Amino acid sequence: MLKEEFRSHASYSGQERFLTFPLFVLVIATVTGLTLDKTLETVSLKQLMEFSHLSAFVYGLSVGTFGLMGRQYLERRYGRSNYLVAMPFILPLSFKTTFLGIYIRDAIFYVVLMLVPATGGLVLSAPVMGFSYVSIGLLFVSVMLTFMLGLSMSFLASVMYVRDKRWFGLFTAGIVALFLLHGALGAIPLEAVLPTLGLQMNVRPFPVDAASALLFAAVSVGEVAVMTILAYALVEVRVSVSTQSYPDLLPRYHEKTGWLKGLTRTLFSKELVDLRRSGTVAKMSFSFVLPLLFLSFTTWFVNYGLAIPIGFNTVFYASMVGFIGVMMYSWLNNIDLAEYYSLIPVTVPQLIKVRVSVFLVLTLGISAFFVAGISVLNDEVRYLWLALLVMFVTSLYMVLVLAYLTGLRTNTFLFDTSILAKFSIMSFLPDVCLVILSFTLTTSWTFALLGLALVLSSMSVTSLIMYRGIESKWGRASFSE
Amino acid sequence: MAVIEATDVTMDFGGMKALDRVNITVEKGDTFGFFGPNGAGKTTLIRIMTGQLEPTSGSVRVLGVDVVKEPIRVKELAGIVPEVESPPTYLTAYEYMYFVGKVRNLDDLDGRIEKWLSYFDLESKKGTICKDMSKGMRQKLMLASAFMHEPRLLFLDEPFINLDPIYQKLLREYLEEYVSKGGTVFLCSHILEIAERLCNRLAIVNLGKVALQGRKDELVRGDENLERVFMRAIGGGRIRRPS
Repeated sequence: MLKEEFRSHASYSGQERFLTFPLFVLVIATVTGLTLDKTLETVSLKQLMEFSHLSAFVYGLSVGTFGLMGRQYLERRYGRSNYLVAMPFILPLSFKTTFLGIYIRDAIFYVVLMLVPATGGLVLSAPVMGFSYVSIGLLFVSVMLTFMLGLSMSFLASVMYVRDKRWFGLFTAGIVALFLLHGALGAIPLEAVLPTLGLQMNVRPFPVDAASALLFAAVSVGEVAVMTILAYALVEVRVSVSTQSYPDLLPRYHEKTGWLKGLTRTLFSKELVDLRRSGTVAKMSFSFVLPLLFLSFTTWFVNYGLAIPIGFNTVFYASMVGFIGVMMYSWLNNIDLAEYYSLIPVTVPQLIKVRVSVFLVLTLGISAFFVAGISVLNDEVRYLWLALLVMFVTSLYMVLVLAYLTGLRTNTFLFDTSILAKFSIMSFLPDVCLVILSFTLTTSWTFALLGLALVLSSMSVTSLIMYRGIESKWGRASFSE
Repeated sequence: MAVIEATDVTMDFGGMKALDRVNITVEKGDTFGFFGPNGAGKTTLIRIMTGQLEPTSGSVRVLGVDVVKEPIRVKELAGIVPEVESPPTYLTAYEYMYFVGKVRNLDDLDGRIEKWLSYFDLESKKGTICKDMSKGMRQKLMLASAFMHEPRLLFLDEPFINLDPIYQKLLREYLEEYVSKGGTVFLCSHILEIAERLCNRLAIVNLGKVALQGRKDELVRGDENLERVFMRAIGGGRIRRPS
């Protein structure tokens, strides 16, 4: 299974390129380690640890969505690929055994992919910065436990989803409630939600409290074990054989999209049907709205919780919205296989461009609503026109950069370090400029406005180049995976 | 008149030659059978001929169109049924036909959809999404969608697989009628009994090279059948049986 996972990832970008991904993480971690002194001037070590653990938790959660995806793997044709997960149907092997195998595989593979090289980076910077190897080791153990917490939680939630959506709803509502109790009400410490953080805070480099550390460690391991055993016990695969008859949506959507012409209209309508029937609209909205709420909470927390007076204004939010929303494009590429397009007169660039349009239609409404809401809440309606412009240009720029770089295989190509590096640079540079300029709006309006005009113009020109480049870059690409 | 002209087509997948200087000519009105063992290169050639894959070297002209230069034009002109039936997961049978019809900009769309869904007995399943269909139904839908624009040329990769005997017979009869009206068929199949009844010309490919090519009545002589010709061409006598 480990070999399958490795080959599956390596097939997207080639073995050598895929292997550079952990190298990329190692380099980033080394640089982070070497510049830690500077970082600690503005952020405390405790906050850094909280951030690391929250990131590892989210990483674990996202890796563990197998249970939900697994059902789609089994129900959906996967081109010429045949994953081992389907083996229980044809070999004397229980699905529970396969499930456990996948759980262990994911735990090992993704720890080795990210956490090991990240720790390696800190080890490399240790001689220069004087970090204790024991502290680094303890950090690795606690962060890995946090990752496992997210992974097992996600596996359990997935299993519940397949069994009974009400269980799933209750379970996820419980988790969200815990985070809200900490984040919004401050009623419980973060350690109560993530006991692994409690372990971290009671070992080096923090003041050592062995008894508390052991208690938190025991609770963490216990939680992981209980959730894993529960998931294992409850796992069940249901391949639905539906006899449902569906109304003809496509002609209706085609009728409603008369403002589009020809092939674009047909492809656009078809994408809308896919979005609705696959339930992706809800997933996309959730995965877009949640980060927006997270962003709002973070900035609120920085301003009022940490009492750091940073001028987060409407234009700042507008620039962030464009960057946050971009991954929604990858959802559009993951709804279904596209092999059947190779049988009809449609090209890859045509489909990419239609999906970019669908992305814009889906996100711009939510983004505009969010930005308008923030401007009212912040009493900054005077900035709204500028914020909307920033939001629109950033959204367009980001999706076109991503579409140009990854085509129809967004998730997979982002494992290619050269593409990831290009994407990071192309998104990071304008993002930094926009954030800095948004902060100067209140102090130097003319300078900020001129700066924003320059940045937005550059982004617009780049967007146009990317849009035109899609044709030449993907014109010969195949729809096959 | 040559409908398909493949000249010295070579396909190299990173050092593995799937096709090695393949030359094939298919005339108008032919039912051309392209046979070979698993992994011989049949699907690769169909994918090249239909503009889904660019050959490493060589040229292919289909209905007078250079496939490498104008892959979309070939898809406009021909009907293609792939080896793996993979219609879009979330469209119903009706919607998929509607979608293909709109992409191809066909007139009398409802009439065509009704005709072909009825031909393949899919009317009762017109509201079923492809995800919920059996393999046979999906195969019928792929065939219906490839036939609906009444192309002059059909590329069929294992069209009989997954079909029950009733629809194997129906499809065979349709193809016979189609060719009698001037259509051309390029067919890959492992079901040699059906292929033998349908094809007038054939080629047998082995390890990426054409081992045998010509008119069926010249290649299948006396009391021989296509299976024996096939075995002879690929050196089937050397195949080891499991003990």
